[in-house]
Amino acid sequence: TEDGVQGLLIGAYSLVDGAGAAGDGFASGASNWIFGGVTSDDAYKGSDPSDVADAAPMEQWTTLTPTNGAIPQKWILCYAGIQRSNDVLNTLAIAEGITPEKATEIQAQARFLRAFYHFEAKKIFGNILPVDETVNPQNTVTSNADQTAVWNLIIGDLTFAKDNLPESFGSEVGRANKWAAVCLLAKAYMFQGQPSSALPLLNDAINNGKTAGGVKYALNDNYYSNFNPAQKNSAESVFAAQTSVQDGSSVDWGGDPNGNYGDILNFPYTGGPGACCGFYNPSQDLANAYKTDANGLPLLDNFYTGLWVSNPAGSPYTGTLDPRIDWVMGREGIPYLDWGNHPGAAWIRNPVNDGLFSPKKNVYAASQKGQYTDVGSAYWGPTELVANNVNIIRFSDVILWRAECEYSSDLTAAMNDVNRVRNRVADHPETWVKSGSDYNAATATYGSAGEDADNYAIKPYTSATFTSANALKAIQMERRLELAMEGQRFFDLVRWGIAATTINAYIGREKAARPLKASANFTAGKNEYMPIPQGTVDNLNADGTTRVTQNPGY
Amino acid sequence: LLFLFLSSSLHAQKKVTGTVTNAKDKQPVAFATVTVKGTNVATVTTTTGSFAITVPASKTKLVISSVGFDDVEVDVASQTDVAVSLKEKSSSLDEIVVTGYTAQKKKEITGSVSVVNVKDLRQTPVGTGEEALQGRASGVTVISSGQPGAASDIRIRGITGFGNNSPLVVIDGVRGSLHDINVADIESVQVLKDAAAAIYGVAGSNGVIIITTKKGKTGKAKVSYDGYYGVTTRGPGYDMASTQQQADAIWQQQRNSGIANPSSKQYGNGASPVIPDYITPTAGFEGDPNTDISTYNRTSNQITKANKIGTNWYDVITRNAQQQNHNISISSGSDKSSYFFSMGYLDQQGIAQFQGLKRYSVRANTQFNINDKIRVGENAYIFYKTNPIFGNQSEGSPFTTAFREDAIIPVYDIAGNFAGTKSQDLGNARNPYADIYRTKDNKQNNWDITGNVFGEVDFLKHFTARTTFGGTIDNNYSYNFNYVGYENAEGNSGANSFSEGAGYSTNWTYTNTVAYTNSFGKHNVKALVGTEAVYSYYRFLGGTRSNYFSENPNFWQLNTGSPTGQSNSGSAGQSSLWSQFARLEYGFSGKYLINASLRRDAASVFAEDVRTGYFPAVSGAWRISQENFMKDVSFINDLKLRYSWGKLGSTSNVNPTNPFNLYGQRAGRSFYDLTGSSNNPSSGFFRSNIGNPTTTWEGDIISNIGFDATLLKNKLDVTIDYYKKKVSGLLFTASGTQYDLIFTGDASLPKVNIGDMQNTGIDASVTYHGTIGKDVKFDVTGLFTSYNNKIVNIPGLPYFNGPQIRNVIVTRNEEGHPVGAFYGYEVIGIFQNAEDVAKSPTQQGDESPGVFKYKDQNADGVIDDKDRTYIGNPNPDFTYGLNLSFSYKSFDFSGFFFGSHGNDIFNQTKYFTDFPDFFKGGIRREVAVNSWTPDNTNTSIPKLRTTGGFSTDGVTNSYFISKGSYLRCKQMQIGYTMPAKSTAKFGIDRLRVYIQGANLFTITKYDGLDPELQSSDINNTVGFGIDQGNYPHTAAFLIGVNLNF
Repeated sequence: TEDGVQGLLIGAYSLVDGAGAAGDGFASGASNWIFGGVTSDDAYKGSDPSDVADAAPMEQWTTLTPTNGAIPQKWILCYAGIQRSNDVLNTLAIAEGITPEKATEIQAQARFLRAFYHFEAKKIFGNILPVDETVNPQNTVTSNADQTAVWNLIIGDLTFAKDNLPESFGSEVGRANKWAAVCLLAKAYMFQGQPSSALPLLNDAINNGKTAGGVKYALNDNYYSNFNPAQKNSAESVFAAQTSVQDGSSVDWGGDPNGNYGDILNFPYTGGPGACCGFYNPSQDLANAYKTDANGLPLLDNFYTGLWVSNPAGSPYTGTLDPRIDWVMGREGIPYLDWGNHPGAAWIRNPVNDGLFSPKKNVYAASQKGQYTDVGSAYWGPTELVANNVNIIRFSDVILWRAECEYSSDLTAAMNDVNRVRNRVADHPETWVKSGSDYNAATATYGSAGEDADNYAIKPYTSATFTSANALKAIQMERRLELAMEGQRFFDLVRWGIAATTINAYIGREKAARPLKASANFTAGKNEYMPIPQGTVDNLNADGTTRVTQNPGY
Repeated sequence: LLFLFLSSSLHAQKKVTGTVTNAKDKQPVAFATVTVKGTNVATVTTTTGSFAITVPASKTKLVISSVGFDDVEVDVASQTDVAVSLKEKSSSLDEIVVTGYTAQKKKEITGSVSVVNVKDLRQTPVGTGEEALQGRASGVTVISSGQPGAASDIRIRGITGFGNNSPLVVIDGVRGSLHDINVADIESVQVLKDAAAAIYGVAGSNGVIIITTKKGKTGKAKVSYDGYYGVTTRGPGYDMASTQQQADAIWQQQRNSGIANPSSKQYGNGASPVIPDYITPTAGFEGDPNTDISTYNRTSNQITKANKIGTNWYDVITRNAQQQNHNISISSGSDKSSYFFSMGYLDQQGIAQFQGLKRYSVRANTQFNINDKIRVGENAYIFYKTNPIFGNQSEGSPFTTAFREDAIIPVYDIAGNFAGTKSQDLGNARNPYADIYRTKDNKQNNWDITGNVFGEVDFLKHFTARTTFGGTIDNNYSYNFNYVGYENAEGNSGANSFSEGAGYSTNWTYTNTVAYTNSFGKHNVKALVGTEAVYSYYRFLGGTRSNYFSENPNFWQLNTGSPTGQSNSGSAGQSSLWSQFARLEYGFSGKYLINASLRRDAASVFAEDVRTGYFPAVSGAWRISQENFMKDVSFINDLKLRYSWGKLGSTSNVNPTNPFNLYGQRAGRSFYDLTGSSNNPSSGFFRSNIGNPTTTWEGDIISNIGFDATLLKNKLDVTIDYYKKKVSGLLFTASGTQYDLIFTGDASLPKVNIGDMQNTGIDASVTYHGTIGKDVKFDVTGLFTSYNNKIVNIPGLPYFNGPQIRNVIVTRNEEGHPVGAFYGYEVIGIFQNAEDVAKSPTQQGDESPGVFKYKDQNADGVIDDKDRTYIGNPNPDFTYGLNLSFSYKSFDFSGFFFGSHGNDIFNQTKYFTDFPDFFKGGIRREVAVNSWTPDNTNTSIPKLRTTGGFSTDGVTNSYFISKGSYLRCKQMQIGYTMPAKSTAKFGIDRLRVYIQGANLFTITKYDGLDPELQSSDINNTVGFGIDQGNYPHTAAFLIGVNLNF
């Protein structure tokens, strides 16, 4: 029946949040904090080195093997999502009493989700298996030898979704609408290195796009509104993982919750929001990247030289900073929403490896506790399980893609797109973090009596500062600053072909101070992708047919 | 028809009197039973050995029997006053042994059946039936934890499957559990180990333990009281570093990691660590304004003094625990009826504070002889118990946090609140005493009724029909309150919550049999046919609410908590079995014995087409000693050779939904918040289960050859069996290509028949009954159990791994290797210097002086995944029990030893106690003072580091493996029986007092707390022989009384 098929479709959506499949875990989180964040120069794994030890190789690389316990979690989640999408399609084919229009709408959503899960796996594992609804144990011809087939499946699904999804789902803002499909399709072209295919889609989305709730895409005035559970599904939200708490699912041991389980460890240690665990600490390198120069612009080449931002050794950087830094990370002496000032090392579990900073985009305000957090009997967990959405695509992300597509042909258009993202912050100093006034969790703003918490300065580029020589770097830097700690950085580095140089330079700068990185090294041509889980290789090749070839170098 | 069986006894009668004496010492035998043969007319002798009985006119023979004597038959056709002398029984061959659905004399048994000496069984002061069975039957291995009331692993002839390896337990003909039986009520225990169990078909694969409970015996009412009281000592505990040693180790750790100037939030940053006066405020000293009690704030300034010596957390969470056990039983019988009634009270405190087992039990067994052909009766057992249990062998148990909590932390802060790791830089362990204290008002209760009713009719001279219906209703009930701590590094910010749950499980067994028994000439024939239906059902519900305003236990009700975020849960399940069976016993001339049986089972957990299985068995025995040519061999009193072959089955852990493809809905798995409500997700479905309609029994073929011998004038009994058990179609979760995720998604996979396993082994028992001089009698019994387990075949996969424990996978199951074998890198030493490093294979870049040097198994000059090997085997070569008993005049002594030999233990606790980089917290003293440094190279403990890695705690390696052999004195006791003369005047027949010690000593090389390790999941064969922090067995001292009147 239609009800049954719709139920299966919801079941297929339910893995977008990164939790709910048997075998999932912290590493399958929708935020990709391990595979897109810890892997990059954004963040450290955090906690003690042996805690969730399977994530340590994501910053060491040399210790990453196909038997690593974190990688199957994401692999399982993606393929479980793919199969749930296929279940919708297969059941739809035999269901009765569904109008053709409704059937097409269901089919389009299922195909969107199937493409989404394939794309997630593709970004992380590189050489994946395309699995459509015809694949079954009796039809085991599938293999990962031909990645063209994977892209064809993704592009085909998203094109169908784009052409058949409605613009709006009314109150069901969590569904994928036409514009989510347009943007995800554009992203797929970006990852294939086909900006010319992406550009028209991006133009259409930026000019005409609407959220699933029917609101025209726009940047929120307040940058942090994108991360505030009270303001989720805003005009900037293109596609997001929806999360919920206190809903009959549970974080208690053995339960599997609907809140943002993937980020459940990513809270300050022993204080502030949450009861645990001190993971996913923003790196010193990321903090330094928020330095701005006299023009209010980022230091594209040498942000890491000179004094460190918040250096505990006694002589911290005192120059100007991009105000986004204090919405991205908790820094000593800066208000941490309404939890008081971040106390520094007291909230860091293992400062020698974890640095100085706490994550901020996935947390909640003290006044939101109980409303957007779970309850339950687990020792830790309920107060780190939050109903804040995980942004998968947000509008500033889309605008910055277009800048990438444009800069080689139309420098001004590219600069305008970058500036549109920067001006959202520059034009609204009232949204910057303030000391000395109360935080309003409904709007994610501090009272007007407060003063800027640090020495902030951000300005748009001008034609003098945005040149053909530095445009790409500026766009790349803008993506880093705008989307920091959102699990995008590593995939961008790989997509731009600069992962090895960037990460090894970063490791080189860090390793003296961070014992965990002492023998770290990123191998070009290998570490751009995670190894395929050994269990999958063994399983799929067990009958003697080679369906899966391990990624190069592993 | 019934009238045919009813006999009347209107014939003339006569009265016969007599005396009964012991042939040896001519003393009167009291309480001997005198029965008119062929009737139920009976009486017992008085204390002077005399009796009087009325004999129906048609009868002419009396049978006189007494425990420990051979029966004597006397013809009274021509006499009315008889003098009977009884000979002490010299052999147990006539002992009646209860086997599947029938009873046989021990000498007629053709299979491998261990008969437990019930008197010995009762000697070990334990709370559960499983623990009492440990070491008492050859072929049976029981491993428990020290936690009162915890479940135990029972293995008959080792592990033969990947799932449930627990044997079937049949109590008075009804499927039940050993766990909560009152051991004092047990009349007999026999263990069917080979094809003898095939009569139980699909339930027999793991062996069958058959228990009968006591019945009333003919004679006057007998009252007995047995009780003991004692104390279980807390035991030695862990040997952890003191505060100073711990601080020095932290400095050492940093120096070894190249940090020239070590520092710590608590110990400063000088050349050596400085132990502060206070740990909150961090590194506080007397005089610091924040140490003034007026500034105390539990949230922001929880002033806590440093324990400069070091807290012994093991001592804090344990106690010397009292235990007591009292049993009163009353029994009697006549030719018309008999009864046995008992009441038991057991109070066994655990050595862990606030933990223990209390059980109140009542048994009432009655039988009525409506006439000499019809008997009806019932057995009923009711108990109520309170037994809060915490997870053993798991990371959160108090026995784990006790070695993880840092020594510098005191139990309480200066205000008397709990102290903990919220004081900075001391790791993330939880205050183990606070944890256990907060469980003290939790409840975990059961009440349970087990029993059966039966009727038996003799008809047509040789036939007996029996019907029995019985079962169990078990109600469990629990609640617990989750406090929010304030003292630990983690978990201080949630809401308190309260969970309450209740459930019940029922099962019933309905059995009907008809037996035929006849002897003609030299032929003895017994045949039995029967049917059996078994059904079980369970249901559970539970709820949780949070944000309780009051934490007072009197307010702990679901509806006093906040409904916001409340949750509930429920589950139910059922399964059934329908069976027919037949059995034939044939004996020729008492020399040649053949048994055969066949059972047909249909089990609901399998699909209809494959649900039915047939389980045949045959066995034969040759009593060589009855042959004429053996008559002259004087040292052999009895010798019997046995051989058996049978097919058995197992449903292992198969779920009743196994055959079906299912879709399910569950909030966390398939709901999604489409509207962005944050708390009201839309409900959806997911494919929850892939079914397999072809899954069927796990089949065992077991063959057994053995002999029973009684030698040296009946002084020596020897039984030795060799067996081979081949398991085919092992039930295990489906794997291989077609079940890969990419085809099945995240649906649960069915259990399928996969793989083969084989066990071979020897069981032996040897008993010597001896006397020294006139007054000393002694018995020595040795039991030996061995098995050799091998995985023969796992189709589709070369191997599969055990579960991940914290950061590593410890075990691997592979063809040609035993189940659960430990797999990892072999440590061959510690790198002593740079030269040593340079000339050795590279170890993933993590090689330096002071870390483990691994063996390059494939000699390719590089240590990598391919150099892993089998580094240990948790399966013992053999286990053994040794029971000694002596008596001298009124004194008696007994001792019981249990041992396990040749098994390895993976001591997972060392990840925490030996590698402070793994998690900060407690360190083993040996590690703190004797780890590798350039000046201390003669050690097996690697250098301390701030970050672990491949060459220390990052991988599974043989450092964690330890020899697990042990020999434990399970009990010793000395008893004194008051002279009968002095007690008789108080109407007391027997009064014995004794003192006893349990777990008095253990001989082992194992360096953990206790080598006797319960597995972490007793229903699965995953991960056994792994020490994850075990509730230990510790010495207990008791005094007790046995009183009969």
